[in-house]
Amino acid sequence: MRFSRLADAPTARALQLEWLQRALEPASEYGRRAFAELSPLRRGEEGAAAARSSRVAELARRLDGSRVEGLRATLRGMPDALQAIAGAAIGGVLTDAEFVEIQRLLDGASRMESLLGDAGDLLPALDDGLRSLGGALECGRTRTGGFYLADDFDRGLSAARARAAEAQREYDAVRERLVLRVAATLGREDLPGDEFVVMRDDLRGPLSAQIRVVREAPTYFLCELELDAATVEALCARDAAAEDVASAEEAVRARLSELVRARARELEVLAGSIGAIDVVVAQVRFAQRYACVAAEIAEEPVVAFQEARFLPLAAELEREGRSYEPISVDLHDVAVLTGPNMGGKSIALRTCGFIATLAAFGIPVPAARARVGLFEEIAWLGIGGEREAGGLLSSFAEEVVRLRDILARSAPRMLVLADEFARTTTPHEGKALVIALVGALRARRRTALLATHLAGIAEATGARHFAVRGMRGVPAAPPRGDLQAALALLAASMDYSIEELAEGGERPADAIALARLLGLDDDLIAAARSALER
Amino acid sequence: MRVGDALLDLARAGGARSLFVVGTGKNVGKTVVVRAVAERAVARGLALGITSLGHDGESADALDAQAKPRLRLAPGTLVATARNVLPRHPASEILDLSDLQTAAGTLLYARVRRPADYELVGPPTASGIRSAVARLFEFGCEQTIVDGAIDRVAALAGGEDAIVVATGASGAASQAEAVETVAALVRRLSLPRYDPSQPFVRVEGALTAALAARFTESAERHQIVVGDPTQIAIAGKAFDRVADRLALRCERPLRVVAATVAPIGREGYFEPRGFARAVAEATGLPTFDVFAAAMVAA
Repeated sequence: MRFSRLADAPTARALQLEWLQRALEPASEYGRRAFAELSPLRRGEEGAAAARSSRVAELARRLDGSRVEGLRATLRGMPDALQAIAGAAIGGVLTDAEFVEIQRLLDGASRMESLLGDAGDLLPALDDGLRSLGGALECGRTRTGGFYLADDFDRGLSAARARAAEAQREYDAVRERLVLRVAATLGREDLPGDEFVVMRDDLRGPLSAQIRVVREAPTYFLCELELDAATVEALCARDAAAEDVASAEEAVRARLSELVRARARELEVLAGSIGAIDVVVAQVRFAQRYACVAAEIAEEPVVAFQEARFLPLAAELEREGRSYEPISVDLHDVAVLTGPNMGGKSIALRTCGFIATLAAFGIPVPAARARVGLFEEIAWLGIGGEREAGGLLSSFAEEVVRLRDILARSAPRMLVLADEFARTTTPHEGKALVIALVGALRARRRTALLATHLAGIAEATGARHFAVRGMRGVPAAPPRGDLQAALALLAASMDYSIEELAEGGERPADAIALARLLGLDDDLIAAARSALER
Repeated sequence: MRVGDALLDLARAGGARSLFVVGTGKNVGKTVVVRAVAERAVARGLALGITSLGHDGESADALDAQAKPRLRLAPGTLVATARNVLPRHPASEILDLSDLQTAAGTLLYARVRRPADYELVGPPTASGIRSAVARLFEFGCEQTIVDGAIDRVAALAGGEDAIVVATGASGAASQAEAVETVAALVRRLSLPRYDPSQPFVRVEGALTAALAARFTESAERHQIVVGDPTQIAIAGKAFDRVADRLALRCERPLRVVAATVAPIGREGYFEPRGFARAVAEATGLPTFDVFAAAMVAA
């Protein structure tokens, strides 16, 4: 998937698009090739995005899980035949392994046809030409499902092999007689191989004329068998017969390769269709596994969803046996998001980006309902998208340089997700910068969500104000040092849902309660509370 | 006597379905040993599968272009080898293709239909060869032979498999050096299993000379346990010194069943009987000279 056409590297990191890439990975090389070419759809292609997404969602309903896994298994078992097809197309003679690849492409297509059943319109039916090619290769299918250039392919091949087998038998017999004769002169039953050692002490007379000394040492001779005239004649006959077999085999390969060449175009189209289906099947599996729905694709730049999940985190929580609380957001302008620490502000931003990314590729989204516009670009600013540690810039400077870069971009439609911009400078100046940023994004007609701890931004800018509802109550702190217990308590008491606040509304940050829950010293907590009251 | 028969008997006496042939170096007769065992396995009617952890059966040495022994295989033998080295003639039966990468393209599985010289290029990793051997068994093999590199064989072979160590005059300055090298290798590969009821120190990764020196300096009396014998990165006399002072043990012992000698090397040769005898005495293993078709009992 060409994520880079939609999100730059820091954004891809923040949205965990690598996870998404893995979750949508096709099963075959044909699919991987098509997958790599997948590009996001642009404004004006809303119809195509909606159609793609609806088709996947529809297939997710029609194909049950076992058929999807059957299709994936079939696709996994299909080796890549494109190189073989290309080789035949330019007149090359294929190898037997390449015939296996082509046979498995045709076999796989037939199996997929039956697995797709009433969804079979995805795959063009094998035409007579391809069926006849499959029939021609059928002679080579072995009992175990392998391939052999069998005698049945050609009477000439069968005859050449019979002659070669006879010549081999003749040579083996003549050579065996010679070996036994020579071994007898050495007082042995047999000779161990092409090269053998004869100890001088063991010699009862001169070496046989059929023994050639390769090397002489003080105690032994290293020898080879010297073939006699009859054996040389049998060897020549065997080699000539082997040459005939080679010619006959090559002639069969050439004939089969010509059949492949004649159908090269159809095979390429078939391989392309299988690649496309593989991509769709991976998306169907994704939609089934993560209960996704087709988003309504809007013409305006909006990201609105109900009960949506940021899947990389949901999967991680699932592995730990913890539950995930889906969220709902309706973003169509520049809005501000506030809420407590660990309340899921960053995840809300990521969910917006994740849903917008899937919609842009025409893939169903993990939500109960969604309405999403197509963006030319998604840009992440803030925590989670940073480069590797190091460099000359402070985190504030790096953030400013990135913002400068994002504001300079000319994409007509951009979704900007800013996570605690200016958090590392003074609250006073930070707030001023965020207020200015809201204005700058509005001036550029961006759709944006800005998560912040700074109070009064929405009020100062007139922006819509979303807030994470936060802690339902302050639970009793677990034993100090038990971080896992603290996190579990926190998750249980946190309401991660998002509400839109009326103008002037604020929600508590719960920072001191959180610090207590996470085990900070009681005296320090008391001092903080006292300072807050003052 | 037939060396192939004797080696096969030794391997199968312990129930081994896989025989690994490892060498102390290049040109020490591994291919000749593999060929000898393969011939006899086929003669006994065993369904045989062969693969390699590297490159085996090539017609000439890649370094000096000198001719090498060919691996002529009989009909019915299964091979796991790279598709680019499968002989075009006579045709083999292709059983399956795989995604496993080798130095000569992806690996395939084939059945020999007519006698021919085969080159074996197998997967270079232990996991790759493990998967290839498992597949050969799935195809119905009753016996597999793996031409192996020592460092990877131990990660692969289990106590139920058999190992034959090949040594020879090639690459050794003297017979004494060749004997010392093979004896140290066999001692290392024959490391006994540790006793979990007794105190032990588990070494994560390799036991290096430096780490061994620390154990000897502190007069460590507990068992020093490595995963498998090849995780001891100390060879030759240095290994002997360490083995004398420390109770070296392993979690996954190997079963070395025989040694073979190739007394004639490129650069020199050793007196065959004396060499075989010296190897047998130093390793305690039945030792075979595949060129002389002779065996020296340990």
